[in-house]
Amino acid sequence: MSAIQLRNLTKTFGDFTALKTMDLDIADGEFMALLGPSGCGKSTTMNMIAGMEEPTSGKILFGERDMAGVPMGRRGVGFVFQNYAIFTHMTVRQNLAYGPRMRGAAKAEIDRRVGAITELLQLTPLLDRKADRLSVNILQRVAIGRSAIMEPAIFLLDEPLSNVDAAFRAVMRTELKQLQRQFKQTMVYVTHDQLEAMTMADRIAVMDHGVLQQVGTPLEVYNNPANVFVARFIGAPGMNLLKGRPAESDRGLVVDLGPMGVTPPLPDALAATLRGARGDVLYGFRPEQVALAQDRRGLAMPVTFVERIGARTIVHLGQGDGAVKAVFDNDVGLSIGQTAIVAPAASSVRIFDAASGLAMKAG
Amino acid sequence: MADIVFRNVTKRYGTTLAVDDASFTVNDNEFFCFFGPPLSGKSTILRLVLGLESPDAGEILIGGRPVNAMSPAERNVAMVFQNLALFPHMSALDNVRFPLVERGVAELQIKKRVADVAAKLHIGHILHKPPAQLSGGERQRVAIARALVRDPNAYLMDDPISALDARLREETRVELKRIQRELGKTLIYVTHDQEEAMSIADRIAILENGRIRQIGAPAEIYDRPASTYVARLLGSPMMNILKSARGEGGVEAAEGTIRIVDKAAPADAVEIGLRPEDIKVRPWPIDGKEDGGQGRPARVFEVEPLGGYTVVTLAAGQARLKALLRGQPDIRPDAMVAISCEPARVHYFGQSGGALAR
Repeated sequence: MSAIQLRNLTKTFGDFTALKTMDLDIADGEFMALLGPSGCGKSTTMNMIAGMEEPTSGKILFGERDMAGVPMGRRGVGFVFQNYAIFTHMTVRQNLAYGPRMRGAAKAEIDRRVGAITELLQLTPLLDRKADRLSVNILQRVAIGRSAIMEPAIFLLDEPLSNVDAAFRAVMRTELKQLQRQFKQTMVYVTHDQLEAMTMADRIAVMDHGVLQQVGTPLEVYNNPANVFVARFIGAPGMNLLKGRPAESDRGLVVDLGPMGVTPPLPDALAATLRGARGDVLYGFRPEQVALAQDRRGLAMPVTFVERIGARTIVHLGQGDGAVKAVFDNDVGLSIGQTAIVAPAASSVRIFDAASGLAMKAG
Repeated sequence: MADIVFRNVTKRYGTTLAVDDASFTVNDNEFFCFFGPPLSGKSTILRLVLGLESPDAGEILIGGRPVNAMSPAERNVAMVFQNLALFPHMSALDNVRFPLVERGVAELQIKKRVADVAAKLHIGHILHKPPAQLSGGERQRVAIARALVRDPNAYLMDDPISALDARLREETRVELKRIQRELGKTLIYVTHDQEEAMSIADRIAILENGRIRQIGAPAEIYDRPASTYVARLLGSPMMNILKSARGEGGVEAAEGTIRIVDKAAPADAVEIGLRPEDIKVRPWPIDGKEDGGQGRPARVFEVEPLGGYTVVTLAAGQARLKALLRGQPDIRPDAMVAISCEPARVHYFGQSGGALAR
């Protein structure tokens, strides 16, 4: 069994706590992304799973087996790092065959595995090329192949695509997903790129400052972020958050944003939660779920910047703490200095407690 | 006036043509971006403008004056380096002063120039701090101030924000564009990030192996790429490009992948290009009459949720296509769907990959 359980996992380096009491269950065959900015503890977590670092306290279980004291080589994990480790004096075939050969696999078995992996990673035409003649993109593909060919039950990848170019990254995302589907390993994928996590992972563990913030499917963390960190980190651009205070109006409960005016009425379920609440809240909505309103039933905001990126237009509105972004599918004809009236879709509105940063659940 | 003109400029390194017969004009006060894959000639063009390299052929003019024979100092073009390269042991103020101090400019003059540039870049209040205590955006402004304190004719940036993470890059590029607008000075900018190029440039020059393939406003290049090469470089996911043939009453792409009924389709088209956002995806089966028989069946191969959008990879005929759909549609792998594309959204390409007018 190659399920992974992290129990109360903690790692300190002197005074610095890199990871704080992390609990996480990764199912057998699951693709789990550890996502967060640099310094969030994601690589430390992975290094402990790999056996490269010892936990300060807490446990790591593979299936039911406690990994304490089990050396890296006996854990049955494969890894790929940001900087591919390839023998440059060898051909692609020799690099791929290296692991199985060291394990004493039979020639026929090695050939079969090399054939299967090169097919999947589109390396077949390059099999007899020397590695030192290959591009960075291809080298990373060979590195992935060299780990995958060992058919590890657990596959650990630490930012494997951060050095390859953008076009190739898109191709590799699809290939990695295919690889995992075919070999059904448990994948733990470390990244700071929310797009990679969203597009590949079955579930995402979002981390910040050594603390696990939320675990969920890509759409769960996008649609229902547990706190403001996750709300801002997931999505491109992240969620808009405006500070205000709940207030009654003749149209129902709204959030009073001070000089910016009041929001459209909140949906009933959110209004019910908020009626009893005290203190400031953050009114959150996704940039992709904003409509331009014709009447005054929205927030009137000055356009400060317009980016047209291919088919998408990102409109920047307001300033400082009152800045928001709205994404449209086409050129909406707004320009800097104009005032736009923006209305977030009622279903997309999320409310967070301003003091704790935690999401306030509807209902 | 500080327009920058290249007339048939060529630069060789040994047998490699780093820049191949390049001609372009960067207008005064323009934000002009060079974009292309590694080794396409972007950085060589910057070096030629700066005067760190001299061309093997052709002429370079800055502000109307030929500069081929001028030293870098005489050209007075400033460079903002990748990762900003601020001196960590100096305060922001000493960093900004440095180029003038080094040139032996009088103290009174230095004070005046620094005050000017600090006011323009809104950094007066942070000048006493060392770089380590500044935010990314502040460091950016200090690095630009250092480049501009000499009052250059133009300034150049070589992939200045590539080391930042994705979220910070989104913020910083907007900041850069604002700064350039406020300063109103010619900026030549190199990036490897297509989204960044489209977001901030007034115009983009697309490079391939030292040759300029297309120059235009970002929207112009995106909407009317001059070739399949250019079409693939801008846009994410990239444009779907399929072999095509003329069929009865329309264009058939890659053995029935998709069918386009377009009487205006050029006869010599051998490939068609479909932007992922232009592919319509509906449940299969469909009523054939509804769209004039354009919908073709495809199998959903992969679904990638981005939150606000969903990328769907489709297996259709011999080909794989990517479609970009709004929102979070309920589409699962292995489902059958009907795909189509409005004829007006189709790009046609000829034998050599060049775009054809419809």
